[in-house]
Amino acid sequence: MFVLNNLHNTALQYSNTCMICQEKEETDILYKGLDLELKSHDPRVLDSYRKFVGEAAKELDVSIYHVSTPSRIIKRTSLLKSVHVYKKHFVQYESRTHNKLIQIKNITGSTADTFLEYIQRNLPEGVMMKVTKCRLEKIPEHIKPPTS
Amino acid sequence: MAASIGSFSTFSKWTCISQLLGRNYPIGYTCIVRHCSANAKENKKPASPTPDEVREWKKINWRAYATGRVRLQVPEDPDFPVMLIPGHSVLPQVLEKREQAKRPPMKLTQPRYRRMLPEQDWTDVWPTAHTFKWSVVPFPVRQGFVKPTESALPREKYGNAELMKIPNFLHLTPQHVQKHCAAIKKFCTPWPKALEDDTVCDKHFPLRVITRDYVADGPTMRDPRARFVTIQLKLSSLKLDEHAKDKFLKLVGDRYNKETDVLTLEADRCPVRKQNYEYTLYLLTALYHESWKQEPWEADQTEVDMIKFEWPLTTAKAKVLDTIIKIKQAQQEKGSKVPKILEDLPDTSSPDLIEKTEIIQEYKEVLSELYEHGEDVHQLEKYKNTTKKLLIGL
Repeated sequence: MFVLNNLHNTALQYSNTCMICQEKEETDILYKGLDLELKSHDPRVLDSYRKFVGEAAKELDVSIYHVSTPSRIIKRTSLLKSVHVYKKHFVQYESRTHNKLIQIKNITGSTADTFLEYIQRNLPEGVMMKVTKCRLEKIPEHIKPPTS
Repeated sequence: MAASIGSFSTFSKWTCISQLLGRNYPIGYTCIVRHCSANAKENKKPASPTPDEVREWKKINWRAYATGRVRLQVPEDPDFPVMLIPGHSVLPQVLEKREQAKRPPMKLTQPRYRRMLPEQDWTDVWPTAHTFKWSVVPFPVRQGFVKPTESALPREKYGNAELMKIPNFLHLTPQHVQKHCAAIKKFCTPWPKALEDDTVCDKHFPLRVITRDYVADGPTMRDPRARFVTIQLKLSSLKLDEHAKDKFLKLVGDRYNKETDVLTLEADRCPVRKQNYEYTLYLLTALYHESWKQEPWEADQTEVDMIKFEWPLTTAKAKVLDTIIKIKQAQQEKGSKVPKILEDLPDTSSPDLIEKTEIIQEYKEVLSELYEHGEDVHQLEKYKNTTKKLLIGL
């Protein structure tokens, strides 16, 4: 038990020092763009949420450069009204999914994390969000012409 | 309130009330056991109760008695000592207190929205997400379905379940957002001003890594699509010589967009995003270094293997020059009529000079366009005309 404890302590210390090192060395990520795709069955909820995102972006100096409403997706199915008889009688069901696309340009990693965490925590019930992040990076150093 | 029992003399006949009440007396009820001292002395078996007595006992609300709301008036008589069973019988003092306790009269107040001041802070009223509360929302709002036949308005907010179903944004008003953002703004960093320009951005950071995150209601927060990683790169940002570029393009195939000069590599084969990201970088590295290698079998490339149209390497060049020289020679030998264009051709002994003539250059350009842009009606028509011009001078 003592050995285990000791091991645990050293592991903790090691991880702590590692964390400190990382904090010092860590540089901010650069995102060329964030695409927030929103889907919901209720277009009015989406509209309200878009307004909220706009407010939050304004406060946090995030530049939204485009907002669009892609066409809704409608799924229709016909089902037999009865369990197995009365084949002439069908019921039609349809489900509509409304879309909203919010595009954000030039955002740093820490701002993106803060902003996304805030707006995602306040995502209303029944709304889904897909975030497409485009991260900027340098070409790895080992990709260079062979010397020999 | 107190219930009284008329004649207590009837008690003397039984030892236990529970016996008296029999089945009518539910289990768990509190009961008082009384002993008749006379009967105990005589050691007689108690007689069964008369129907009148049973009726009298059934009138008593025993549940009320057990909870202390009803008090039995027991006369103090040395012949009738009351035996109190600990934990079952209610003490007289407790009964006294219970009777005194009274609930204060209820005050009816107005709903909160009627007591609100115009200068109040809404963020204090509705601090977090909550279901719609009619008594707190100060504005009139209606929601619900009205039959087309009825000439009525939708229901108002009081006790309206429709308003409770739909998500509300009463906790996310501009004042709320301002407060929240003021608190979290310290975690944000500005975009570097030097990188405002897209071309500068592309120059310093040519590689783009595209990932996706999914947030949705569901039993799990994991989404298998989140592991996909795409990297994009302009080919012009890689250092490649002619051979390496040619080989690179052959290796990547349709992952390269000729029009935008963008190479796209996507990976989803590993279960975790980080692994997929590393795999795409590995792919890029492998492709790059492989394309710089010159293998011995690469010398066997023929015209069809070429990605780009190169006139000096085409068989068309040799054929055209050969044909023209033959026509010229035939003209010289037989003195027959030749196309007008070919009459001005220089000496047949030097193919280089022939190649530089206008008609050959035109043919070269048309052929090159045909290779580069693919066959269509317009291109084929142009090719036809040039060929006719070259061979029969039309």
